[in-house]
Amino acid sequence: MNDSLHTENSGNKRVKKNFLVQAWLVIFLSTFFGVALAAIQLTLSPKIAANRLNETLNKVPGLLLGDQAAVPMKIIKRSVTAGAGGVKKTYSVFAARVGSRSVGYVVKATGQGYADKIDVLIGLDGALNKITGIFILGQKETPGLGAKMVDPAWRAQFTGKLTDKPLKVVKTKAHAENEIDAITGATISSRSLCAIINQAVHDVRGPLASGLIPSGPIPSDLNKTKPGKGPNSPSNGHGSK
Amino acid sequence: MADQPTPLERFINGILPENPVYRQVLGMCPTLAVTNNLKGAMTMAGAVLFVLLCANVIISLIRNLLKPHLRIVVFTLTIATFVTIVDRFLAAYMYQMSKQLGPYIPLIIVNCIIICRCEVCASKQSVFTAAADAAGQSLGYALALASIASVREIMGTGMLFGLRVLPAAWPDWVIMVLPPGAFLTLGLLMGLANYLVARHSAVEKKARG
Amino acid sequence: MISSLPFLNKTMKGNNVVLEVAPSPHIADASFATKKMMADVIIGLLPVIAMAVYMFRLYAVKQMGICLFTCLAVEAAFTRMRQRPFPLMDLSAAVTGLILGLSLPVTAPWYVGVIASVVAIGIGKVIFGGLGMNIFNPAMVGRAFVMIAFAGLMAASGYVNPVIGIDAITQATPLTAFKQMGISTPLSDLFFGLVNGSPGEISALACLIGGLYLCIRKVASWEIPAGVIAMVVILAGLSGLSGQGVVWAVGYHLFSGALLFGAFFIATDPVTSPMAPVGKFIFGAGIGFFIMVLRLFSGYPEGVMFAVLLMNAVTPLINRWTIPTVMGEK
Repeated sequence: MNDSLHTENSGNKRVKKNFLVQAWLVIFLSTFFGVALAAIQLTLSPKIAANRLNETLNKVPGLLLGDQAAVPMKIIKRSVTAGAGGVKKTYSVFAARVGSRSVGYVVKATGQGYADKIDVLIGLDGALNKITGIFILGQKETPGLGAKMVDPAWRAQFTGKLTDKPLKVVKTKAHAENEIDAITGATISSRSLCAIINQAVHDVRGPLASGLIPSGPIPSDLNKTKPGKGPNSPSNGHGSK
Repeated sequence: MADQPTPLERFINGILPENPVYRQVLGMCPTLAVTNNLKGAMTMAGAVLFVLLCANVIISLIRNLLKPHLRIVVFTLTIATFVTIVDRFLAAYMYQMSKQLGPYIPLIIVNCIIICRCEVCASKQSVFTAAADAAGQSLGYALALASIASVREIMGTGMLFGLRVLPAAWPDWVIMVLPPGAFLTLGLLMGLANYLVARHSAVEKKARG
Repeated sequence: MISSLPFLNKTMKGNNVVLEVAPSPHIADASFATKKMMADVIIGLLPVIAMAVYMFRLYAVKQMGICLFTCLAVEAAFTRMRQRPFPLMDLSAAVTGLILGLSLPVTAPWYVGVIASVVAIGIGKVIFGGLGMNIFNPAMVGRAFVMIAFAGLMAASGYVNPVIGIDAITQATPLTAFKQMGISTPLSDLFFGLVNGSPGEISALACLIGGLYLCIRKVASWEIPAGVIAMVVILAGLSGLSGQGVVWAVGYHLFSGALLFGAFFIATDPVTSPMAPVGKFIFGAGIGFFIMVLRLFSGYPEGVMFAVLLMNAVTPLINRWTIPTVMGEK
């Protein structure tokens, strides 16, 4: 590769030292592999993006109307920015309609848990008064303890909670309206999750209720006929296969 | 190259006598990180099989074109390409698994097993031998991952492959699915493997007299 | 044990004296000295055991019995496997079992004690080559294992059981009550031990009596508990500046939790603590530091176990720093 050195050497050696002679295979392979990877990326990326979106969209009907819900609904994704002072948080909010009636909103919230970030979907009814359910999209809490937050039985506690008072984690049996039973041995995970939910509900309630959703670029309409089917993203040129 | 190992020898070697995890102690990072359940471990082993097979075959095909001082660059390029392919395929067709394995699929690029096989076998022997070698090594790797993951998943959750195998009264040993469980299980199983090997060779020596 | 506890193997070959460097404990007649020492530890533990039995009745007896029996059985099994002479008589496994039994919640199910004992002897001691070779305190290795494996049974909630009819067990442990609910327990209760907790740790008085006996008998080096207590007094005093007052904070942190039990009985294990007096003091102070950091800033109410294990890990380093000057040398 050091073809600038040894200039006093004979021509034959110079040719041998020429970087093309040395590295043609590397150059050829990297070009070839690069093109192959680009092709694969182009083919698969719509599918991967759809996977990401579907992960949330598939949960929307169940979170708003209960698990058996199979009502055709129209889901509109928008983003809501909230937060006081310099700290602004942006939430993805999925507004769901059946016909022209609003059936509620699903808010995607992220926050710090005990071990790592927790991603949670929060279902709110159309009037924003009640939590209709939560779903844990992603968490890395301690297996066997904090990770039990994905357990449907534990999550069910949140269903029907009113949004006007912040939720509180208690270690003994929950009595009051706004109390949540902690997961045994994982009080911190339980508290973190409740804090994330409280914050998100607090942040999105105002903007959603006043209808002042700061709409950036026109949100893409995601028409859905059945839960479980992928969306047809109209903006994307490459159709998913 | 008469004295080089035959394809069959290469294949058998990889499974037990030169098991990448227990005998060569290679690829420890994914071995420790993804073995808390069998499903994830087997997906990882499958990914390694694909990458190793493809990389070994390609390297073997171009082995006569390799410049000695640039060979590692070529190995890395080839491996990285196939790892990226696996990563994208998992994200597209096994999204949940891809989320679970997280960075450990991209990290196959730096997995020593693969670059070691490219160096030791594929860059010196024919395509068929290289493929047999890749299959043997991957099978050995899969066996090692499966043994560790089975112990950890059964003790840690009472389940195997997501199905309950122990009665519900079994108290889950949470530590087994956490990182310390990986080290303990690997250490104890490696000790057991060494013990068996030592006993085997002692028996063989005795038989030979 | 005799063969695995080497001391000074003098091999005379002409004028060549071969000094064999061996891990601690360095004692002349190993098996005899170890046994005497361990017997002293057991005597030192008696007030603690008495207090545990007084507070928790049969539950404490059961927990200690399970740990004691399993530790002895595992030690016997492993030494047989390694074809070593029968070592139970040096009592070291018995001490491990007792300390383990005293540090587990009395309400923990039987298998917790069994698994903790197997791990303590098997992974904590035998894997390293038996007594004198282990890096970590075996009892704490066993306890840490079950602490993480069965966190639900071993964490704060594991100590509370309103059903079994012993008053102390209906309340949270003092440190948990303080950390999570802001309730403080009267210092006198903490001192005498009329509180909930692991059976060994409840009574500060019993730990002091037993601990002082060990120090006077020179079985435990006084530098280690002194280091722990000095560090805890300083840090607890600092933490008390912005709260209930310095004196109260110092008293509370000293008498609650496993601090005194750990300082006198766990940290003083001669195998896993440094050899030089200065090193012992540094070791103790390090334990005190980590205990306070864990108590004040971590999710756990108590930190003695993790503090001891952490300092065990740096013991070789402390040993290297604190090589005492040989007499006659500068």
